[in-house]
Amino acid sequence: MAKHRFSNILDLAGRYRGVLAFVLVFILGAVFTPRIPGTNVTTFLTWDTQRTTLLYYAEYGILAAGMTLVILAAGIDLSVGAVLGFSATLFSLLLIGYGWSPIPAVLVTILAAALMGAISGFVIARFRMQPFVATLGMMLVARGAAKWLCGGLKVQPGAQPWYAMQSGKPHIFDSMTNHIGTIGIQPVVLLFFVTIAVLWIVVKYTRFGRHIYAIGGNEEATRLSGVNVAWVKIGAYALCAMTAGLAGLCNASLNGYGDPEAGFTYELDAIAAVVIGGTSLMGGKGGMFFTFLGAMIIAYINKILSLNNFEEPQKLVIRGALIIVAVLIQQTLEKVEKRRTK
Amino acid sequence: MRRLALLAVIILIIALTGCGRKEAANAPRGAKNYVIGMSQCNLGEPWRVQMNADVKAAADKHPEIKMLFKDAQNNTTTQQSQVQEFVDQKVDLIIISPKEALPLTKPVSDAMDAGIPVIVLDRKVEGDKYTCFIGGDNVKIGEEAGKYMVKLLGGKGNIVELKGLMTSTPAAERHDGFMKGIKGSQIKIVYAADCHWLEPDARREMASALTRFPGAKDIDAVYAHNDPSAHGAYTAAKLEGKGREKTIKFIGIDSLPHEGVQYVKDGIITATFQYPTGGAEAIDTALKILKGEKIEKNITLGTRIFTKDNAAKGGEAL
Repeated sequence: MAKHRFSNILDLAGRYRGVLAFVLVFILGAVFTPRIPGTNVTTFLTWDTQRTTLLYYAEYGILAAGMTLVILAAGIDLSVGAVLGFSATLFSLLLIGYGWSPIPAVLVTILAAALMGAISGFVIARFRMQPFVATLGMMLVARGAAKWLCGGLKVQPGAQPWYAMQSGKPHIFDSMTNHIGTIGIQPVVLLFFVTIAVLWIVVKYTRFGRHIYAIGGNEEATRLSGVNVAWVKIGAYALCAMTAGLAGLCNASLNGYGDPEAGFTYELDAIAAVVIGGTSLMGGKGGMFFTFLGAMIIAYINKILSLNNFEEPQKLVIRGALIIVAVLIQQTLEKVEKRRTK
Repeated sequence: MRRLALLAVIILIIALTGCGRKEAANAPRGAKNYVIGMSQCNLGEPWRVQMNADVKAAADKHPEIKMLFKDAQNNTTTQQSQVQEFVDQKVDLIIISPKEALPLTKPVSDAMDAGIPVIVLDRKVEGDKYTCFIGGDNVKIGEEAGKYMVKLLGGKGNIVELKGLMTSTPAAERHDGFMKGIKGSQIKIVYAADCHWLEPDARREMASALTRFPGAKDIDAVYAHNDPSAHGAYTAAKLEGKGREKTIKFIGIDSLPHEGVQYVKDGIITATFQYPTGGAEAIDTALKILKGEKIEKNITLGTRIFTKDNAAKGGEAL
């Protein structure tokens, strides 16, 4: 009887291992951060900390959400950081350089980003190029395009004599980062939640989502069962690049300008978030909720280290060690779960 | 098969990111015309874009100079081969802003052996086998920033230091100089973080500093090793929503026209200290060298301070 109950607990732990790792990191933060002067509460537990963590890591979370689609289909997209930089630059250029109004600027930026992803997807699906190589190429193309657009200078009012806006700041940058009413949450954070929610529905409840899982599980079998694998892949990469475009909007809004260097190495953080969440790099296993947890775990780890004001070398070592431990917990529990369900 | 694929990937990476570019080596050489080759280590940095712009602006004033620009894209090997390419092209003079000292020492000395004078900008190479070195003095800039901070806060206060990449010399020197500048005062650094010169990192670290020191008078000022970090700190304070961006003083370094100087004009940061690119000085010195005039081997550039009062007039030399 006791043994039975124990295995039930293991079962639960196995199924909700992402949640478990998340809770562990949360407890770590709640205990090991400096206390607010004069109280017994740690700074980690303040609303301020939670709010700034969400605000400053929303971009990574949005990127990771898109990356999940691609990884579920047993692919990888190394170009998202560069596409983010490209989108931030293009968006700022349309607003500041050409004086466009926000809505067309947003639409054009997102479409341009999606197009880049669709091209990667097309090359990968049609010519069976390895995703690693195809998206590495796209990474350079997008970064180059970003620098090309702005002539190597950050896009900000007055940076070029011909810019429509010579001083001030586009209104949308402020509205994206100022909190809405009394909720205290910024549109940037809301965008992160909405992206996760929408893509969660896509992977869980649509045929497209099921096909992504199927391709990740066994591409050849999926093809033979009549699924148009190429289109699903193109769709996955386009959606992934689209989230990079959204993250680019957030990045430009937070910076207050378009930085062609923005998003450098962000793809690694996005991949890390997906993997820490528990989605398998081999494809076919995992999901969007896991990625949300993974993104929050990384954000919390960084926030805890920053609140403690560790020196840079210690920070790097601890961050790396915590990431490895988080994945280790995941994998151990996954094995437990597998053994139980057999 | 898999190993073959891996090999293909590696070759592709090298081909894509690496040094596959070659330029036609037929620079025109007239009687009085000079061809100057400039190898910039990384045009991804706005400050270096400014340096190239300064070099170009100065060179454009002299029709006898033809400039050839190369960007090493932050890759040491690329920069080594760029110097070699300039030697093969037989340019009249080379200006190099090296990525790293040691690996570029030999290419520079090879160029000197080939009889081509070399001006080294901003970062040094090892030894003394170069024609002229032109660079700013980060220790002095840090010290001036420190002294200004003491004056600004009346000799007492709590500050946050947002550092550049601390394994890089400029960040270490800007820190050391600053500590020298505030020595003897009652200014205390309550929070310091390595922000890698990046604005998003500075924003995040500043947010943590604000959470840890939540009182209205807990933080008096921020010393940032570059202007984007100062701007990021301001943004973090503004987004905190307590209005602390109005009471905290922000000080940055670099003073690029569209960054630091603009931020000062907009009232975002209190002061910025210029880290000169030396672009104009490089062309002046190059002409002297080419005409056989005597030059100083090491030229140290001064700094300027920009505040709301003097920004419109082009700052004030220190």
